[in-house]
Amino acid sequence: MSSETDTMLAIEGLHAGYGRVEVLRGIDLRVGVGEVVTLIGGNGAGKSTLLKAVIGLIPPSAGRVRFLGEDITGIQPERAVKAGLVMVPEGRMLFGPMTVRENLELGAHSRGKTDLTEDYERVFELFPVLADRQDQSASTLSGGEQQMLAVGRALMARPRLLLLDEPSLGLAPKLIGEIFAALDRLRSEGHTILLVEQDARLALRHSDRGYVMRTGGIALAGSADDLLADDDVRLIYLGTWHGGEETT
Amino acid sequence: MHRNVDIKVAVLLGLIGASVFSVPLLTADRYMLRVLTFVGVNVIIVAGMALLFGYAGQVSLGHAAFYGIGAYASAHVVTVFGWPWVAGVAIAIVLTAAGGLLLALPSLRLRGHYLAMATLAFGEIMRVAFVEGKGVTGGPDGLSGIPFPSFLGIEVDSAGGNYWLVWSAAAAVLLIASNLVRSRAGRAMLALHGSEAGAMSCGMDLTGLKVRVFVISAAFAGLAGSLYAHVVGFISPSTFSLHVSVLLVAMAVLGGTRSLAGPVLAAVILTMIPFADAVIPGLSRSAVETIQEWQEDVYGLTIIAVMLFVPGGIAGALRRIAAKGSVR
Ligand SMILES: Nc1ncnc2c1ncn2[C@@H]1O[C@H](COP(=O)(O)OP(=O)(O)OP(=O)(O)O)[C@@H](O)[C@H]1O
Ligand SMILES: [Mg+2]
Repeated sequence: MSSETDTMLAIEGLHAGYGRVEVLRGIDLRVGVGEVVTLIGGNGAGKSTLLKAVIGLIPPSAGRVRFLGEDITGIQPERAVKAGLVMVPEGRMLFGPMTVRENLELGAHSRGKTDLTEDYERVFELFPVLADRQDQSASTLSGGEQQMLAVGRALMARPRLLLLDEPSLGLAPKLIGEIFAALDRLRSEGHTILLVEQDARLALRHSDRGYVMRTGGIALAGSADDLLADDDVRLIYLGTWHGGEETT
Repeated sequence: MHRNVDIKVAVLLGLIGASVFSVPLLTADRYMLRVLTFVGVNVIIVAGMALLFGYAGQVSLGHAAFYGIGAYASAHVVTVFGWPWVAGVAIAIVLTAAGGLLLALPSLRLRGHYLAMATLAFGEIMRVAFVEGKGVTGGPDGLSGIPFPSFLGIEVDSAGGNYWLVWSAAAAVLLIASNLVRSRAGRAMLALHGSEAGAMSCGMDLTGLKVRVFVISAAFAGLAGSLYAHVVGFISPSTFSLHVSVLLVAMAVLGGTRSLAGPVLAAVILTMIPFADAVIPGLSRSAVETIQEWQEDVYGLTIIAVMLFVPGGIAGALRRIAAKGSVR
């Protein structure tokens, strides 16, 4: 089914880590054009490491990363952004002392000097609250607003593939709902997204396919529905062992 | 509203510029002019330090070495090779920029504080080279008889002339620095301060940016060294020691980050402390001698006091004053 679509990102046998410590031990993963793919897994499984290796923040020691057919293994991060691979890092990493608008402007840094009017409008349409906070410094935003700004800033680079690292981290359920509503909008507009989430159930409900990572490898892969129904996944990642069917 | 602030700032800068440039018209006191010329030399170096520390977030403990390379190179080609002064200045700038590139490229590729370590080692190596390289540097005794700056056949040999020359260079350097800060690269540097990971995820070439800023700051120090050598006429290794590098860092820290005005003011104040009698009339000779004797302690205490009582350094204080002004 997924092989019918064009491939946006193809990761083959990827190994990477920090110094001598190998964290990723042969990852195979594929994201098709227009797909939303979720990466789930416990703390320390290597999800963030995988995103970092894809955009060149850490150099892979073996394996290949292909982006739209082109080999980009070990690319420089600034070139990855230029090519259209844009990550919203874990913990948002906003420019705290700068205003919302300045943060957005810097998101478009890789595009050089261009008119950004349309891009601001798009972000403000997606997250209206940011429009009201334009001249406020990013550090004064609430957690949810900061996450929206982080996503907005990434969108300013006009990504072809958006990599999101735990956008729901530390947010109240209502705000998580808003973030995922925005992701649904992006999905319906045809954006391609690779999403890392702790809340597997939530993420899979908003995705086409998913991968389960365990200690640096892919333990399981499948369509979002299959994973939601998989016994192991339900047991380990969806927290249904004690709770039975929940209501979320 | 922004326009108003811009106009106010422009008027203020104009007034400061006019008063700085009118000093030699108002006084013929050679001592005072010399001290203020030396202040101008330090302002040139600190402009680079402000870019490097306050914007790019990097520490260099070796800028006195670039200062020295600029001074010795310029003095050597002018006195020994008989090159014109302008060529001496050019050589000083080119050599220090190249040296800065060679030092920064490998050390900034690595993450962490490699640049600070590399510059510290570089400063020490150059200090030894200044002392041992007798053929070029005159060794520990230094080089004397370096001719005054001259161009278009005119020798700038008056205290006032040298003052103007150095402060014109300082104005040019500050103009370049403030343009850089307001350019796209400058916005990227501000971002880098906010969050390095964030700046990377926005696709900024941080290593390239830091290397460029380091090269610029090294070249500024080289220019300052050349001006110093020809204006003073005598150079020796002690002028370019680690002690001076640390003082330069202190100026940048005291001045505060994300600001040019703060570090410039800090350079003015710290340079003047040991020569306070040049501008404070009636300050007794013995009082000045006491200050000079306790110079290091005065510096140390000033820095500690500012860190404790003036958050954000001088730049922070300036920002608070400006904010109060615009609320009114
Ligand atoms: N900068 C680093 N240096 C060394 N080791 C690291 C570094 N970052 C992560 N690691 C290690 O790599 C492994 C994987 O970490 P990673 O951050 O990729 O996990 P994760 O799946 O994103 O976890 P989480 O859900 O907690 O974010 C962990 O064992 C971690 O300790
Ligand atoms: Mg993580």
